[in-house]
Amino acid sequence: MMPIECRNINYKYPGANIPVFNNLSCSVGDTGFHALFGQSGVGKSTFARMIAGQLNGFAGEIRTREPGKVYYSYNLERLPGWSGVGEHIEKITPEANRHKIDEIIETFGLLSCIDSGFSQLSLGQRNRVNLARYLLQDFDFLIMDESLANVDEAMREQIIYKIKAMFPEKSFLYISHSVAEVSTFCRNILVLRDFSKSPQALKINGRDNLKGKDVVKNDLEQTMLEIVNAS
Amino acid sequence: MLHKRLYQFVLVYFIGLAFLFAVKGIFNLSDYVIPGLPDIYITVRRVFARYFFDVLNTLSVAIVGHILSIAMATVVGIIGRLSNWMGSLIRTAAFNIQAYPIVAVAPMIFILLGDGLSSRLLIAAMICYFPLLLSFIGILSEPITDIEHFYIHSGRMRWQLEVKIRAFENMNKLITVVAGSATLAMVGTIVSEFIGASAGIGYSIRIALYQSDLSKILVALFLIGIFTSFYLALLEWLGNIVSRNWGAHEA
Repeated sequence: MMPIECRNINYKYPGANIPVFNNLSCSVGDTGFHALFGQSGVGKSTFARMIAGQLNGFAGEIRTREPGKVYYSYNLERLPGWSGVGEHIEKITPEANRHKIDEIIETFGLLSCIDSGFSQLSLGQRNRVNLARYLLQDFDFLIMDESLANVDEAMREQIIYKIKAMFPEKSFLYISHSVAEVSTFCRNILVLRDFSKSPQALKINGRDNLKGKDVVKNDLEQTMLEIVNAS
Repeated sequence: MLHKRLYQFVLVYFIGLAFLFAVKGIFNLSDYVIPGLPDIYITVRRVFARYFFDVLNTLSVAIVGHILSIAMATVVGIIGRLSNWMGSLIRTAAFNIQAYPIVAVAPMIFILLGDGLSSRLLIAAMICYFPLLLSFIGILSEPITDIEHFYIHSGRMRWQLEVKIRAFENMNKLITVVAGSATLAMVGTIVSEFIGASAGIGYSIRIALYQSDLSKILVALFLIGIFTSFYLALLEWLGNIVSRNWGAHEA
C-alpha cells in the first residue's frame, strides 16, 4: 500500500503565461487500480511526472506515506534497437520476478513477437511490451500514462484484469481518455480539471470490476455521468 | 559504394581537366602554363610509380592520424557530454579552439618536432579532430529520452549504456561524420607536407609547384582522388557492417 498525497501544488511551465496547476490538492494510490482522467492538455502527464519525481520546480508538496518505488511508464517509450524483445525482457527482469515472465508475455499476447526487434512491432505491440517490462520490475506504484494506447479493447480488458489479479497489493494510476474504461475497471477516478476550476481535482468512485463479474449497467452509467460532469 | 565514388571522382576530374583545356584554348595559353595531352602523358609515364608510393605514404599517415582523432574525440566526447563543470569546460574549450584555423599552428609544430612523421601525423590528427569532437559531443550529449527513461528510473543506467544508446541511435550520423573527417585527415596531411615535411605527395606537389609543372600536379591530384575514394569507400563499408551486425533487430 502506497498512498500519495499532494498539497497545494502550483506549477507553471517556464515561459508559459498560465499555470497548469493552481493549488491542486488530492490523494491518489491506495492499493488497486486507479485512474487519472481529464481533457487533453489539462496536465495529466505533468502531474504523473511530478508524482514519479521526474519533474521538479513546482510549489507545494507531494509526499508518500510509505517509502516505495514509483515507476512512470508512457506510450512513446522504446526498447534499444540492438536486442530482441525476449532478450531485453530477460535482461532487465530482476531474478525474483523471472517466474512472472511467461505469464505476462502470454496474457499480453506477445509470444509471437518475442524474437522480433522492437521497431518491427506494431504500435499496440510496442506498448504492450513496454508495459510488460515495467510490470516485471519491483515497483510499489506504477503510473501507466496511456500505456495501452493502440491496443484493441478485448486485449486491454484482458491485460487490466490480469494486472489486477497478479498485483493486488500494488498501486496503479492509469491515465486514459476512455470514460467507459476507467469507470469499469478503476477503484477511484481522479478527474483533473482546468486550473481555473476549484477544486482542480475531484475523486469519483469507479466500479472496480473484476474478471467474471458483470457490471450493473445503471451503476456504470451513473459513474460515467459523474466523470463527464466533473471534467 | 566504391564504384560510385570512383565514378563520381573520375567524372569531376575529367570535367576539371576539360575546363583547363578550354581555358588554354580560349586564352591561347602556352604548354608551359597548361600542358597539352602529350606532355601530361609523358609525365604520367615518368612519375606515376613514384607518386603512387608518395600518395600511399600520405594516405597511411592520414589513416593513422584519423584513427588517433577518432579515439581522442570518442574519449573527450564521452567526457564532454556530461552536464557537470568538466563537460561544460570541454564543450566550451572545443567550441573556442575549433574556431581557430589549426593550419596556422603547423609551422610551430615543424619548428618544435622537425619535418618528420610526428609533425605530419599531429597536423593531420589536429585538423580532423575538432570537427569530429564537436559532432561526437553533440551526438553523445543529446538524450534519447524514449529509450533512456526506463533505464534511468529503474536505476540501471550506467555511462557505458548511455553512450551505447546514443551512439546506436545516431549510427548513421556517426558514420557520415567519420567518413567526412577522413577527407579532412587527408587534407591535413597534404597541407603539413606542403608546409615543411620532406616526404609524401604534398612534398612532391610542392616540388612540382617550384618547377611550375602543372602536369605533375594533375597526376598527383588524380592519384590523391583515387586513393581517397578507396579510403572513404572502405569506411562506408565498415560502417555498414557495424550497422548491420549491431542493428540486427532493427526494421
